[in-house]
Amino acid sequence: MKIQLKLYGSSKLLSDKEILNIELPKNSNIETLRNALSKIISEKYLKDKLQNLSKTSAFFSEDDEVINNKYKLKDKELISIIPPIGGG
Amino acid sequence: MTLHAAIVKIGEKKISSDEAKKFILSNENGAESIFVGRVRNENSRKKVTAVTYDAHDQAVIKSFHSICNDAKSKFDKSASIFLEHAKGYVPVGEISILIAVSSGHRDEAFKICRYILEEIKHQSPIWKKEHYAEGKEEWLPGHSLRPKEEIK
Repeated sequence: MKIQLKLYGSSKLLSDKEILNIELPKNSNIETLRNALSKIISEKYLKDKLQNLSKTSAFFSEDDEVINNKYKLKDKELISIIPPIGGG
Repeated sequence: MTLHAAIVKIGEKKISSDEAKKFILSNENGAESIFVGRVRNENSRKKVTAVTYDAHDQAVIKSFHSICNDAKSKFDKSASIFLEHAKGYVPVGEISILIAVSSGHRDEAFKICRYILEEIKHQSPIWKKEHYAEGKEEWLPGHSLRPKEEIK
């Protein structure tokens, strides 16, 4: 299955595009997505800049609700990654 | 209407304190408190030239409304609030955030202004990327919205 990850903040270092398509095994959840992200960060040699991104980020569903690790992802679902925030 | 909350895309519109003052003006509210946040030229001994603000627009607006309504419930239900935050590339000296509050009395006006600013830092999905004079840029660390007990 594939999910679309909408990038915000520091996660934009992962791609020049706003959305990163990620291939995941069937029946994946947010925990699986976190593991896949860690792998992508290593592969892109971004560990020094995004060391804790997969661990510290929250994820929003399409209706902007925070979703936890057990949330089951659907094929082609659009998820937003919310790295640690710091506005104001 | 006693609440205005918006994300302002740089290049489309300017954050204006005159507009804010006009919005909060009310014969019932005798106190006004205005906070203006601007991009400053230094952070952690690095010379800053600008900050790029990124935001999850829908979630930010939702959080702004929730924070402002909480502030009114806590301190003064009759308060008028104007809140705008910049999105995009903001050079040094330009406004990044403006909070204007009018209230019945000064104490409530100050408290509401402060409460909104602190809560935005902890609730609103906004990110900062600093641009430095030496040519480098860096996303700043922040506050995780993931429940603490889940982060091992």
